[in-house]
Amino acid sequence: MGTRRDGPAVSASPAALADELRRLLVEVTGRADLADLPTDTPLFGAGAGLDSLTGAMLLRRVHREFGVDVAGEDMNLDAMETLGTLAAFIARR
Amino acid sequence: MIKCVVWDIDNTLLDGIYLESTGQPPDPDQELLAVLHTLSGRGILHALATRNPAEAVDYVQRATGVRFAAAECGWDSKADAIGRIADELSLGTDSLAFIDDDMLERAEVAAALPQVLVLTPEDAIQAPDWPDFSPDVVTSEGRRRADMYAARQRRQAEAASFGGSRDEFLRRVGTRIVIGLATQEDLPRLRELSVRTHQLNSADVPLTEQELGTLTGSAEHMLVIVALADDFGDDGLVGGAIVERNGFRPWLVPVVMMSCRALGRGVLDALLAWMCLVAANGGAPELAVPCLVSERNLPMRLALAAAGLRAAGGETSPDGRAIFKRSLEGGLPELPEWVHDATGLR
Repeated sequence: MGTRRDGPAVSASPAALADELRRLLVEVTGRADLADLPTDTPLFGAGAGLDSLTGAMLLRRVHREFGVDVAGEDMNLDAMETLGTLAAFIARR
Repeated sequence: MIKCVVWDIDNTLLDGIYLESTGQPPDPDQELLAVLHTLSGRGILHALATRNPAEAVDYVQRATGVRFAAAECGWDSKADAIGRIADELSLGTDSLAFIDDDMLERAEVAAALPQVLVLTPEDAIQAPDWPDFSPDVVTSEGRRRADMYAARQRRQAEAASFGGSRDEFLRRVGTRIVIGLATQEDLPRLRELSVRTHQLNSADVPLTEQELGTLTGSAEHMLVIVALADDFGDDGLVGGAIVERNGFRPWLVPVVMMSCRALGRGVLDALLAWMCLVAANGGAPELAVPCLVSERNLPMRLALAAAGLRAAGGETSPDGRAIFKRSLEGGLPELPEWVHDATGLR
């Protein structure tokens, strides 16, 4: 466990961010098929099949690579609804 | 056989966080310091993988009196750091152990490098007795723990090469989750879970066997236990919960807790889904789960969110936890076929 770095400011478009998030999703789940995940598919459950572990790993990577602490800023984690909502949340920060 | 142990620094080798100290950095953890020296005495190497600046490495070498054969400082993944350490020391990753207090760091390394023996600091204190660390005498407990970790590594290797969804994997490896009600003999393990599961515990309050025992005899409460097994091994009792049955008023879940060893294996999802179904069957309009909100219990909040629970309007419990809740009218979660209800309540 270490202290957090302040990441680079986010200036990318939601579409470019969604692509970056797909890359991270593939890495944390080991599932190549998620490289084509639509932006409106639910991340949890039958959709992308994220669970509490892979979801937490994804948010940690987001924190490290984009400097956005989704878990700290969104108590209900509504940003984790879909890839699109997550990209939009990061783009607004 | 383990030839090199890769250590995290903050809250692992050091009894605190290096950069958060004012003045003198934290001292080494005394139990882990003893492990460090024991293993050095057997010719096992040590390395560091940390998110701290390089000065922390100098400090740890001075404070422990141990020379580290390699050190990686930085913000990329610890799996990559461990890969570089293996290259630098010309060791296979199957001869490395990794010790970190952070369950997500452990999960990342275990997923990317399934051959690495990944341990919590608590495990590491026992590890010198395990055959992997070549002690003179292997105790039967040491043998049992080593077998358990070997099973976990086989599961990780299978998961790493699987490529399908989590649910497909759980089905493929014969996952069996059994949800039941606690009896007297489950109380010591439940007490232990309440003391040890800080990261996956909605309350993080230690419970005594006596407190737990009164719940088993209470008509208004359910003391729920969850057991986990698959084709690789039997993990036994890995989770528990206390449910307050409130008839046709909202049901309350004062405690949900799970061993981090069960993370990623569908246990929290199953337990939350089961509680929704049982409460709905009992006539509850709503299920409420007060939960601490911290960086460390993020997986717990994600599981609550995935089960449809939300903390609306900043409502908190008397002890300051955020109250996550969901309606039980319609759209209830389903239990996968590998979850068995031993209570007959759903």
